[in-house]
Amino acid sequence: MDEWKPNPAVKPHKKRSWYLAWKYKLMNQRALRKLCQTGAVLFLLVTVIVNIKLILDTRRAAYEEEEESAQDYDDEMLNVEVPRHPVNNKKVLDVEVYSSRSKVYVAVDGTTVLEDEAREQGRGIHVIVLNQATGHVMAKRVFDTYSPHEDEAMVLFLNMVARGRILIFTIKDEGSFHLKETAKNVLKSLGSQVASFLSWRDMWTFVGKKGGEVYGEKHAKSPALSTWGDPVLLKTEVHLTSVEDAECHWPDTELNRRRKRFCSKVEGYGSVCSCKDPTPIEFNPDPLKDNKVFDVPVAVIAGNRPNYLYRMLRSLLSAQGVNPQMITVFIDGYYEEPMDVVELFGLSGIQHTPISIKNARVSQHYKASLTATFNLFPDAKFAVVLEEDLDISVDFFSFLSQSIHLLEEDESLYCISAWNDQGYEHTAEDPSLLYRVETMPGLGWVLRKSLYKDELEPKWPTPEKLWDWDMWMRMPEQRKGRECIIPDISRSYHFGIVGLNMNGYFHEAYFKKHKFNTVPNVQLKNVESLRKDNYETEIHRLLGEAEVLDHSKNPCEDSFVPDTEGRVYVMFIRMEQEADFTTWTQLAKCLHIWDLDVRGNHKGLWRLFRKKNHFLVVGVPASPYSSKKPSSVTPIFMEPPAKEEGAVAVPAVAAAEQT
Amino acid sequence: MQKINRNVVLALLSLTSLVFLLFQLCYYKFYLSQKNGAAFSKVRGSQSGQDSTRWHVVRKFLGLLSSHNIPVYLIDPLILGLVDKDIEQIRSSPDGPSPECKYFCAPRDFTTFALLDKTWKHEVGLFRTAEKMGFQWLKIINKDPRLDGMDDLSGMEIPLHYIFKLASHAIHLVVFYERSGNFLWHGPLRLKQHMDRKFVPFRKLHFGRYPGAYEKPELLLVSIDDLKVQIPKNPSSFLQEMSHSRFLECRYREARAFFQLYPDDASLDAVEFRKKAKSLLHLAALTLNNLGVKFWLSSGTCLGWYRQCNVIPHSKDVDLGIFIREYKADIIPAFQKAGLPLKHKFGKVEDSLELSFQGEDDVKLDIFFFYEEDDHIWNGGTQAKSGKKFKYLFPKFTLCWTEFVELKVHVPCETLQYVEANYGPEWKVPVKTWDWKSSPSNVQDNGVWPVDEWDDVIQIY
Repeated sequence: MDEWKPNPAVKPHKKRSWYLAWKYKLMNQRALRKLCQTGAVLFLLVTVIVNIKLILDTRRAAYEEEEESAQDYDDEMLNVEVPRHPVNNKKVLDVEVYSSRSKVYVAVDGTTVLEDEAREQGRGIHVIVLNQATGHVMAKRVFDTYSPHEDEAMVLFLNMVARGRILIFTIKDEGSFHLKETAKNVLKSLGSQVASFLSWRDMWTFVGKKGGEVYGEKHAKSPALSTWGDPVLLKTEVHLTSVEDAECHWPDTELNRRRKRFCSKVEGYGSVCSCKDPTPIEFNPDPLKDNKVFDVPVAVIAGNRPNYLYRMLRSLLSAQGVNPQMITVFIDGYYEEPMDVVELFGLSGIQHTPISIKNARVSQHYKASLTATFNLFPDAKFAVVLEEDLDISVDFFSFLSQSIHLLEEDESLYCISAWNDQGYEHTAEDPSLLYRVETMPGLGWVLRKSLYKDELEPKWPTPEKLWDWDMWMRMPEQRKGRECIIPDISRSYHFGIVGLNMNGYFHEAYFKKHKFNTVPNVQLKNVESLRKDNYETEIHRLLGEAEVLDHSKNPCEDSFVPDTEGRVYVMFIRMEQEADFTTWTQLAKCLHIWDLDVRGNHKGLWRLFRKKNHFLVVGVPASPYSSKKPSSVTPIFMEPPAKEEGAVAVPAVAAAEQT
Repeated sequence: MQKINRNVVLALLSLTSLVFLLFQLCYYKFYLSQKNGAAFSKVRGSQSGQDSTRWHVVRKFLGLLSSHNIPVYLIDPLILGLVDKDIEQIRSSPDGPSPECKYFCAPRDFTTFALLDKTWKHEVGLFRTAEKMGFQWLKIINKDPRLDGMDDLSGMEIPLHYIFKLASHAIHLVVFYERSGNFLWHGPLRLKQHMDRKFVPFRKLHFGRYPGAYEKPELLLVSIDDLKVQIPKNPSSFLQEMSHSRFLECRYREARAFFQLYPDDASLDAVEFRKKAKSLLHLAALTLNNLGVKFWLSSGTCLGWYRQCNVIPHSKDVDLGIFIREYKADIIPAFQKAGLPLKHKFGKVEDSLELSFQGEDDVKLDIFFFYEEDDHIWNGGTQAKSGKKFKYLFPKFTLCWTEFVELKVHVPCETLQYVEANYGPEWKVPVKTWDWKSSPSNVQDNGVWPVDEWDDVIQIY
């Protein structure tokens, strides 16, 4: 304590000496300059301090901001950066192509892009198109040129591929049997030396640029008819070009940017990717006056048939009164190419993880698509359901706009469909005529939301039930006696040849000659008479004026119907009870209309056209219209031919088709 | 020595100062100019005075949108608050020029507008024009919740928020989507990793912390501060709605996992019950909404929503909760008028009130009234034959909107605590036999009703 005490006394002394020194300096001559110097020093110090403070402040402000925005607003699911494709700076691609009896594969830079060793499948010429700048696979096709006409499809495809693309060919099993001269010439023009004498069971691989150099070709001749050529493996290098060279120089618009994205990814869509004169991807059809279906969502149900989808969307977007914003394409599976097509047209697409198999998969896809449609458009009272293998008539929406109020008001209606099962070239005539039918045709139809939400959705077949959704919808438990409205001339056309229940033969027999309306703005004439009670009045009126045909003649013969036009004729066939369709089926067969199950009936009455005359068929005595039969007339009975093998199996498959 | 020292010090200091000056310039150039001076002005604390930047930015933005035919409406809570005070005057003179800039000139970092998704076509052209006009813009996209409930559908991501920035002002454009309960929904604002976190001070945004649910507003075109703009017809009710707009999405993924473990009952009975429960719930919601009584999904119905996003088919009734302060004497007559006769009434308004209405074919509507205490909330139960009282305790909760069987309804935001209080930690396991007197984990005995009150507190019809 004692030692510490003197300390305070020291300070004043020091201060005092400082003061004295300062006073002394002030008296100095250079005092003023020094004062300035000191002032400057102090000022500088202050500046520095202020600066530091400012920096610290702004730093802190910025940091706080960062902190703030970081909390709460971060995406909870830490988005793992999607590993981006390494930028391919390599200018050369290594390509390996293998051709043999039972296996083909193609590897590009060590990645297998095609491998097919399945038995009894993939026969013919496999073609792969690569982008010449990126090396990406743009198209993969197989043409079974062992079978007829497939070579024509191949020629068509090769012609659509843009110049400069890299083409890879390889044969599996057999690819020459139906490879005609034209196709061989196309291959020759691509630079193949071998194509012109490619023969039975030869193995062949070829890599070349369309309209350019050949990167390699290998061929192994089959030594004898009963054996195959030795497997061949072609290893070659392909030089990539720059991206600019691989692209077209379209004017920079939103549409062309979509086009560019599409065309640099996929091939085989022809003129849409043409550099000189690309086909439009926006159509702007005339709007419909008083369009009642402008706000009705359109669900397009699709699988992995991108070329079909492309054709379908083109026709849909060209239909008058279409509202692209209401269209959603539902793709069953994570397929890229259908999605590319959807994006090309600027529509929205939704992919669906496949559930279950075969028919049940389709059925689950339908359910998910319908539910999603009503979720996305909660205001909608209806949804239009389309499939990817349909052409849509130019007046499709006009047809719906004129008839949709019936579906809203008439409880006895199940759906409106654009498809007439019995509307073939020779049996449909009047674009303005509508029918009521007890069967649900599908193929472009309108579904009422309340029907879906209250009845169908809750009891939709579960995935383990391998049911067709449309067969299920046609079951009496679901349909409950309600009917669908259909046009005489279909507003959709089923062009799909490849499908779950579909093949070329079947398509030719049942779909190819279907009539399809191409007249715009058809004014429907009898809309109000389609209501439940009105329709009965209408039918009675028709039957009243109809002339009874000569029942002694053979109804299959053309002469059964007189050579008139615009008349109404009626014939009576035997139909013991409601489910007796023996005679009808035979009649349908000989008339070359849908005979695989019963379609298009309304209370035992069928309506169609023959030789431009309205032609009514009444089933007696099951139909309530039997009373119109003059007592002198005996209903025609036609017996089914002796049962052939498979006669039962076919309808089962075929009936399922109308999905 | 001293002289040299001083000169050296002086030189050093000058140099440091010069360096600092340069540094400061660089700093200003790279950091502050990037922030468009926003941060700078904040540091200086200049919050006073009029700011015509905002007005100009808003005007430009409105011009941009109207040139693309995109209708937006103002939902900025601060401006709507001001507008609400003068609403009569604004309504009466929709075109009058305003003497001073009253609403759009208060200096703020943001102005918030709303856009109905279905009223525009997602044209890219809008953004190109915006860029040409000098706007920087940011788009926040995310999964489409309308597809979330669907098994395995993956659509394109949808835009939830846009931010347009010009000079020091930003426009926050909230995209509203229509949902199946006939309401509007906006998404949360969540930044993805690569996004610019400093684009705007996100935390200050009025919308986007949570998703929100709103009624479809009626709009009114007004002219304020010489700008023609659409606003909700009734700003005060919009603001009211906004403060309680938080929306909870059903936990679809967990529900799917639940159905993997316990496959859904697809029997005809289950389908029928669900259908009836749904229509009963719709009717109850309509009735209570008309009375302006706030209610939420309670007990089994709440569990069904939380666990499986659907009605539990074996639950046999629909349960709703209502705060006792919301009780109205009209409730019973309103339900009776809607075709739901009173089945029983237990308790009284002061204590343990519970109403039960008879729906179609044995489906019952139970309404429990909840009593708030300082640290918990409870509702009561009564056993008819013995007059015993029970008490069910819940931790405090607030209410959120959700979508359930195509209906916009309330659920407790703290759903997990609510469900756990009611059903215990094993709530994930379906139980078919449930005794409301002993099974709940939050039940307490609460004495017996005095016999002389029985006629009043135990009414069975």
